[in-house]
Amino acid sequence: MNIKTAYSTEKNIELAVADLKRQLNGFDPRMLVVFASSSYAQEELTAKIKNGFASALVCGCSTAGEIVSGKMLKESVVAMALNGKVIGDAKIEVIDNIKDLKKVKDAFDSFSRYYNEPAAVMDPQRYIGLVLMDGLSKAEEKIMDRIGDLTNVIFIGGSAGDDLKFTRTYVYGEGKAYTNAAVLVLIKPQVRFDIIKTQSFAVLERKFTATKVDPEARAVIEFDHKPAALAYSEALGVSMDDLNNYLMTNPVGLLIDDEIYVRSPAQIKGTSILFFCNILEGMEVSLLESTDIVGDTRQAILNKKKEMGEISGILNFHCILRTLELERKGQTQEYANIFAEIPTIGFSTYGEEYIGHINQTSTMLTFGTERLDSVESEK
Amino acid sequence: MAGNVKRMIDLIIDQRAKGNPALVKLTKAKISLKGINPDKYTETSEDNPMAIEKLKALAEELNIKLWGDVL
Repeated sequence: MNIKTAYSTEKNIELAVADLKRQLNGFDPRMLVVFASSSYAQEELTAKIKNGFASALVCGCSTAGEIVSGKMLKESVVAMALNGKVIGDAKIEVIDNIKDLKKVKDAFDSFSRYYNEPAAVMDPQRYIGLVLMDGLSKAEEKIMDRIGDLTNVIFIGGSAGDDLKFTRTYVYGEGKAYTNAAVLVLIKPQVRFDIIKTQSFAVLERKFTATKVDPEARAVIEFDHKPAALAYSEALGVSMDDLNNYLMTNPVGLLIDDEIYVRSPAQIKGTSILFFCNILEGMEVSLLESTDIVGDTRQAILNKKKEMGEISGILNFHCILRTLELERKGQTQEYANIFAEIPTIGFSTYGEEYIGHINQTSTMLTFGTERLDSVESEK
Repeated sequence: MAGNVKRMIDLIIDQRAKGNPALVKLTKAKISLKGINPDKYTETSEDNPMAIEKLKALAEELNIKLWGDVL
């Protein structure tokens, strides 16, 4: 086995790290990915984990709930250890001021030097990126946009959480915990890898065009030249007073080649709608209606298994709104069971990253078992 | 002058994707997330200054020369 997972619900950091070490005893990780509840003292936790796994590249973030094969947890720490047969190489960069976009370019210059290949021409079939960001920064769209300009390599990940306290989130890089920061890891895997992006929504006929926005506040002030909340309530056929009951079940989505990039309303403010990610002026979005998270996820995993032959590990960046919906419907364990037989870790995010910043989605990085060089030679 | 936005989008996609269908899709998605829907622009679409500015910045980032070819 080249990918192993571990978890601990010990509250004491020393005991939690010892617990992880015991479960990973005898395994030599090249890289360790860690997701942990904000209930732990973040600096102490990350330092002790790095100390315990000194030879591995260690990255991760704080969460709003953790996922490990067959379980959805709270107030725990989960870890995935990947050895050198999976991770050929990996380079981590910390953007310690997430609002400073020049630092994204600096990070990619560093990646280019490290791999001796310009990031702009790196082959997305040979490299994959992980991105973890401060979930309260509202900077994710700009960072993802910048990454997209600098490379064709896909960066997948999520926005760190803090157990719905909405006070402070952390990303982890090599034994340090950072706030107002992002961590980028550029990986050169040895085995086949792929991506799953799944969201559970039907696209309804009603479309809106954002005609007045405040992007810094992620606010839509007008849809179709009408107060946004009014246009949204008319489309749903409900009163403005009832809108809060529909925000989670009826977000909107940007459709690109029939792929949905969900934008979830966070709250109604006056007659504006505040979203969890940006809708830019002129963007056309469709009204969505929630469907079956468990069924859709199960199918997405089955489809990927068929494509890849076997899945040896999954990193699951799972929107907190999906977690809340699963809790509301009493389907948490049913969802966790989908991953019971596959080494999986993940967390409930404050936003997901795939090409851009999205909501109410699971973005997953999947590793197979087939070596990349054998996949290449078959082509 | 009309159609410049479409010409700029096509050039950026050509240069960035170099005929790879997966990269065509990826580049189109990135442009859409910048607020410019490539499917909305045709040879006769009026030039949208905001879209042109965003595409110019992107082209510059990608070292794609637009002036001789497009504008």
